[in-house]
Amino acid sequence: MPELARIVEKKPIPSEAIMLQGLPDVGLVGLIATSYITSELDLEEIAYIDSDLLPPVVVLHDGLPHAPLRMYGKNNIITIISETAVPATSLHTIMRTLIDWVQSKNIKMVVSMGGIPVENRQAITEPKVFVAASTKNLLDTLSEKGLNILKGGYMVGPQALTMRYCAEKNIPAIVLMAQSFYNYPDPEAAAMVIKELTKIAEIKVDISKLLAQGEEIRLKARDIMRRTQQEMTRMKKTQEYDLPLYV
Amino acid sequence: MSRRRRRSIFEVMDEYMEGFRAWAEEMIESVIAERPSWDIGTRCLEPLCNVFITVDEAIVTADLPNTDPKSIKVEALSEDSIEIRAKMKHKLRFDDFGITHRRGEFSSFRCQVRIPVPVDMEQMKIDFKRGVLEVRLPRKKGYEIKIE
Repeated sequence: MPELARIVEKKPIPSEAIMLQGLPDVGLVGLIATSYITSELDLEEIAYIDSDLLPPVVVLHDGLPHAPLRMYGKNNIITIISETAVPATSLHTIMRTLIDWVQSKNIKMVVSMGGIPVENRQAITEPKVFVAASTKNLLDTLSEKGLNILKGGYMVGPQALTMRYCAEKNIPAIVLMAQSFYNYPDPEAAAMVIKELTKIAEIKVDISKLLAQGEEIRLKARDIMRRTQQEMTRMKKTQEYDLPLYV
Repeated sequence: MSRRRRRSIFEVMDEYMEGFRAWAEEMIESVIAERPSWDIGTRCLEPLCNVFITVDEAIVTADLPNTDPKSIKVEALSEDSIEIRAKMKHKLRFDDFGITHRRGEFSSFRCQVRIPVPVDMEQMKIDFKRGVLEVRLPRKKGYEIKIE
């Protein structure tokens, strides 16, 4: 029986690294933040995810083919991005394969970035960032650093599975989520996530260029946002608005 | 020898509903997603847009980055649809998206949005903030039933 998903390594994988995840989701916040960090730190392509569960898509850069779901790295940072919407039906398999690989490569921490949809986003000048963690100790550390803790509610999508599988394998994982538009690309929210990331990881990235490129990014991200919205509908992302039953 | 278990009516219905859901998804994709978000003939890009329905209003939003706010026009096409048009501050070409095998440029946004509830088009209110257009349309009131 063929593997449902596999990770193909192209270059040596940095050990003891931090993995930054930015898969397409609410406002493409994680994807924009991770792509910007990848570009600013000049990370190189080190691996990609291959799966029959993903659409038969290849992305051309300067005439050469690249898998849409791929990893970049250098020194102690690994990033994972996707240039196409990840089908909701493939998410469990992809994330389980990824977190198994994270464990096998001794990656020391996973940071998953994303957006929290807010209805009045137009009225918010500086989106707030909230954080969740896979262990109590990690959460206490984040709280001591003054980050806003996401205390309750539902999480749906790539971040949810990262938390679930990392907690299961005892891999430290953090989720950083900024207030954002639901289905409009939100580079400002991505900038705020990066700002908070620099408080918890040794990553130095200037966000001014990202803010200056905001309109251009919003224009270029329209189509991937449109397809991501369809997948968010399929994974019932709106459950994040639900009020949970705590008895 | 194993005997085949007879399926319950609920299992048959589940299977039928699953088939129907897959068919509906396929239909939605073929109608909505599988067409370009641009039209080179009219030089228009289709903006991302959304419709929220609240108790009192229908709220339509559209993401219009790189737009000259003075050029935004919202027109009621019928009782249940509006058209949004806006000119871009700078023209865009396929080259700007890294596409070299197509030719053409885009100078405006245009989309038509259907409102799924009865609204009063005359009372339309428009706002444009952070590159996002917001069109608010009050919902038409229905009959009030008095409780005796």
